[in-house]
Amino acid sequence: MPKKLLVLTFMLLSTLILSISPYVSAQRIFIRFAGWSAGPTEVKNYKIMIEKFMEKNPDIAVKYEVITQMFHENILASFGAGVAPDVFYVDSSWAPIFIEKGALYPVSEIASSEFIEQFYEFLLEPFKGKDGKLYGLPKDWSMLALFWNKNLFARAGLSRPPDTWEELEEFAKQITEKTGKPGLAIYLGGFNRYMPVALSNGAPKPWFEKPEDGVWFDNPKVRETLEWYINLYLKGKVKREEEGLKPYVVSPADVGAGWLGDAFGKQEVAMVISGNWMIPFLADQFPDFKFGKDWDIAPVPRGDVSRATIAYTVILGINSRTEHPEAAWKFIEYLLGKEGQEFLVVKLGHTLPSIKGFEKHPDLWPQHAKTLSFKYDQMIVFLWGPKSGELESRFSDTMAAAMRGEISIDEALETMKLIVAEVYGE
Amino acid sequence: MKKFFIFLHSYYDKAQTKEFIGGMLLILGAAFFNLVFGYFSAIFAVYLSFMKWDYIGPMEFVGFKNYEIVLRDLYRGIIGAPYLLTPFFTGFKNIIIYTLMVVPAQTFLALILAALANQRIRGAQFYKLAYFLPGTTCPVIISLIFIWLFMKKGFINYMIQFFAPGFAPDWLNDRNYLLPAIAIVAIWGTSGHFTVSFLAALQAIPRDLYEAAMLDGAGPIRRFIFITIPLLRPMIVYVVVMGVIGALQMFDLAWVMAGSSGGPGGSGYTIALDIYNEAFTRLRPGVAAAKSLFLFTIIFITTYLFQKRYGKVIR
Repeated sequence: MPKKLLVLTFMLLSTLILSISPYVSAQRIFIRFAGWSAGPTEVKNYKIMIEKFMEKNPDIAVKYEVITQMFHENILASFGAGVAPDVFYVDSSWAPIFIEKGALYPVSEIASSEFIEQFYEFLLEPFKGKDGKLYGLPKDWSMLALFWNKNLFARAGLSRPPDTWEELEEFAKQITEKTGKPGLAIYLGGFNRYMPVALSNGAPKPWFEKPEDGVWFDNPKVRETLEWYINLYLKGKVKREEEGLKPYVVSPADVGAGWLGDAFGKQEVAMVISGNWMIPFLADQFPDFKFGKDWDIAPVPRGDVSRATIAYTVILGINSRTEHPEAAWKFIEYLLGKEGQEFLVVKLGHTLPSIKGFEKHPDLWPQHAKTLSFKYDQMIVFLWGPKSGELESRFSDTMAAAMRGEISIDEALETMKLIVAEVYGE
Repeated sequence: MKKFFIFLHSYYDKAQTKEFIGGMLLILGAAFFNLVFGYFSAIFAVYLSFMKWDYIGPMEFVGFKNYEIVLRDLYRGIIGAPYLLTPFFTGFKNIIIYTLMVVPAQTFLALILAALANQRIRGAQFYKLAYFLPGTTCPVIISLIFIWLFMKKGFINYMIQFFAPGFAPDWLNDRNYLLPAIAIVAIWGTSGHFTVSFLAALQAIPRDLYEAAMLDGAGPIRRFIFITIPLLRPMIVYVVVMGVIGALQMFDLAWVMAGSSGGPGGSGYTIALDIYNEAFTRLRPGVAAAKSLFLFTIIFITTYLFQKRYGKVIR
């Protein structure tokens, strides 16, 4: 018995040593890369790219870690425990916190300016620190556009998508009258989805970094547009149902859908305003619902002053405490360069490439190419200040309460002002 | 080297040490996890509650400031500020209402079910199993199933039509019904678990007491009230205390059924949800720790007072 025990212990120890030896072998640098996953294909493609990178750079080993849920919370906790990965995704709305706290390594100190110049300029803006340094480069991006169902439009006697916000509401009503299906789906809350309405009607771009910055909500344009947006749901759904009428605006849950893409793909609603991430979802989950024939994309409706949309982006950041910034940079340079983006973004078709020059690439999906062709007067990145994540979540809760009719528009505006004061006051 | 192994071998071979080592090995795993995830975390939470921290930078001592934030939230809630600005007060208020709904109902239901299962009837074993089954199911899955049942045109409203025609609330989207809906799920999910506790206690009551009572002419209901209930008192206290602890810490059902911000009117918001949001949305782990200590104090005081008042074993 003891002999067996000894043999077993020996075997266990040797497997342990053998299994970790590739990572500890001399001269080989070992970096950890963490991201979330937009599906199995993305994970598979990343693995392929990582293999290729390691073939080209035999002195660097990359360990890919997929965190499927609550990504930024996980990364923060790993910082707290001192085991954060060397390279990781950072969403634009979380970036200021990571930059302000010194968690990210300034890439502008390590990257060549030619490399940085390849990127769309407006996508880099949010990742610049107060010191003017750049703290990350976007891996891809998406923007809001209007998705419309051609079949439902035709049944309602409409042949083109709405061009203004007023038309959006009118068309939604008309579609509901003629087809019985809700014309438009929006989220309950969703401060970022309301933003194009505000900007296109002349409200200034919001920026909250001090307790007093809540005065943005005192702007008459903000009040007017927020009231219109909240009323879309309050009048289009809540009040309509109280009168026993069919709603012309719904939230995805109202039609048994998980999110806007789901509601649109199931053809339960005729219009949604959503981002490029919806395109691969529709292709994958609703293969019979064809782009061009059954549905199409149009620019986000225009306001009185201009046409505006919101861009969403994610950067690959380098941990400021990494022992191997050069190796981490080499890896990022490979993933974000022409070769990496061509494979990971353009061919995969999930989102838009963050470097210029792919607009006419033959592999760029036509749906994505179409969104790139729209002209906007204002395109701002999803970012409202250093604590964007918290603000977005609490503004959205407030908007949702107003949309359900629990609080008035004035109460909502006042509450949001107080939230700004509280978030930056303590 | 060889000598060393021989020493180890002979040491291990002694019966007493064998037993000692065996025992130690058996409790090692549990003790380790308890120390790390129990005691260490609890002590760390106390430490953290006096700190300002953002996970990335160093911690900064702030004294009682985190507790002040909690108290200010409570104060503002009491003087009537809207729920969107007083998350902790909202969670506190909801969880008290929830506990008052859940604990008496689940205790009562568990007691009745146990008394029924204790009868000598056909298929008693089947009933016992059926009652206990919800207790073994993951609360998240239970919540998902109930979300479906609680829909406006769902099964529950369909059944209600036979008893109360015209009463068809939109359970999950109406702020007056969300918390009761969560409470119903909790009662359904936990009663079975406590039924087993009661059943064990019931079977320990000596038969001759009932026989003596029967000779004195006591019917089944009088026997239940005057023999069963008093003798079950220690178990009732245990069930209520465990129920209160579980109810005050409720997180999973609210997270799934109401969402992280508590659903319409914040009516499904709980203290545990608020602790989570404080730590990971508002990124103030220090305040989250202060809130969890506050929750600990509430649980400790209620259970202590209850045990002190009713917990004395009567023989």
